[in-house]
Amino acid sequence: MKRVLGLLGLGAVALTLQGAVAAFLPARFCPDLSFLLVVALGLCWRSAVGGVCVSGAIGFVTDLLSGSLLGQHALLRLAAHALARLGNRHLSLRGMLPQAIFVAVLTCANAFAMALITSFFSPGSAVAGIAVRELLPQALANALLAPLVIALTARTVARLGDEDGGQRVLPLSPRGRIA
Amino acid sequence: MGEFRSRIAFSLLIAALVAVATISMVVDRRSRLTGGNLLPGWTRIVLDAAVPLQKMVALPFDVARDTWTRYVALVDVADQNQALRSQLAELREDNLQLREALVASGRLERIAEMRDDFDVPMRPAELVGVDVSPWFRSVLLDRGQTDGVLSGMPVISEDGLVGLVTATSGRAAKSMTVLDRQSAVDATVQRSRSRGIVRGRGSDGIVFEFVARGADVAVGDLVITSGLGGVYPKGLRIGRVTAVSDPGAKLVQEASLEPAVDFGRLEQVFVILRRGPTMELLYRAEDGDAAPARPGT
Repeated sequence: MKRVLGLLGLGAVALTLQGAVAAFLPARFCPDLSFLLVVALGLCWRSAVGGVCVSGAIGFVTDLLSGSLLGQHALLRLAAHALARLGNRHLSLRGMLPQAIFVAVLTCANAFAMALITSFFSPGSAVAGIAVRELLPQALANALLAPLVIALTARTVARLGDEDGGQRVLPLSPRGRIA
Repeated sequence: MGEFRSRIAFSLLIAALVAVATISMVVDRRSRLTGGNLLPGWTRIVLDAAVPLQKMVALPFDVARDTWTRYVALVDVADQNQALRSQLAELREDNLQLREALVASGRLERIAEMRDDFDVPMRPAELVGVDVSPWFRSVLLDRGQTDGVLSGMPVISEDGLVGLVTATSGRAAKSMTVLDRQSAVDATVQRSRSRGIVRGRGSDGIVFEFVARGADVAVGDLVITSGLGGVYPKGLRIGRVTAVSDPGAKLVQEASLEPAVDFGRLEQVFVILRRGPTMELLYRAEDGDAAPARPGT
């Protein structure tokens, strides 16, 4: 519970900071801190239930402070968290470069999913036309900041009591092979 | 067995969260179309809490900027400039309204009517935060229901149209700007009266769409609100035409606009405390007023 509350607080800080920084930086170059946090939680927090709950909560608060539909970011943050968890199991994401590339790809997938959902619910909107020149700087900004956010999140998770914070999850199956 | 149970429980948790998110989207979309008050009360608490938090975090940036503007760059000139700009904006607005009235009917009586019509109460509000999602273009204002700010009210600045209030809490309001990709404003070219729709394009600014092929639109033309959608008052500046595309075989043409408002430097806005007829109809039955408004006009 302490960890969940602590990470929710971290999410609130990320959102507030993002809202303030976005006022001074062009939106396309502004890293999506809450998205990065959710991905980082998927990479370095063992608790699946806690990760899903915190990601969903961060998504819902993002929806409140954004022009999106209520639940849109929540759904996508859940998906991003799940993909990060999946990626952590099947890919080697130890170094800064793999983490940056992984986050850049996830950012693009997130943007397309966002466009798809918005187009579905608001057919007249122009969200489907998210331009590449808008998406690429955003993916780059997220990728550049990803290793730092992941390291900070891992440290926070460890400090809040998770012994394996920052360690890759390698659950062993009863037969002895790596799951 | 225990592991199996915990897996089932985890799957159910994910399914429940996905279901909640999906239902929320459907309900929110419906509330946008009908103007119903369907947002839960806790959302207002979050919006209220966001204002002081955003102000606090933005304080160092604001102090640095103010220090530079007021003391380092030009002592006193900034204040004078601000006062003169406000005065100029008022005169511009008056001029625009008068020209609008003259163009519309040619009768001087109409000018007086229009001035009366435009003389609606406005509430100044400070912009305390911008959209936390890079794909949307909403802003957070530090005025809410206690100040008379309600969903569906237009938001302007001294330079022109900013957007529309889409959700309010006690002391905060969320406003969708014209840059947002979900925004659509019924507009007209001031010079030629050619009509079209101004749509947001995010970082790429705004576009004047669905203008009839052959309509008189030229670079430099001022595009203003037409007032026909019943959402925004007539005659608010939206932007200036920077390029007109070749329609080719299409029946409609479009033009790129430079927004009249510099959204990168937007700090203070005014909420027009009167909804347009369409918004009034949409929100008539509403008491609490926390639901977002329909984006288009």
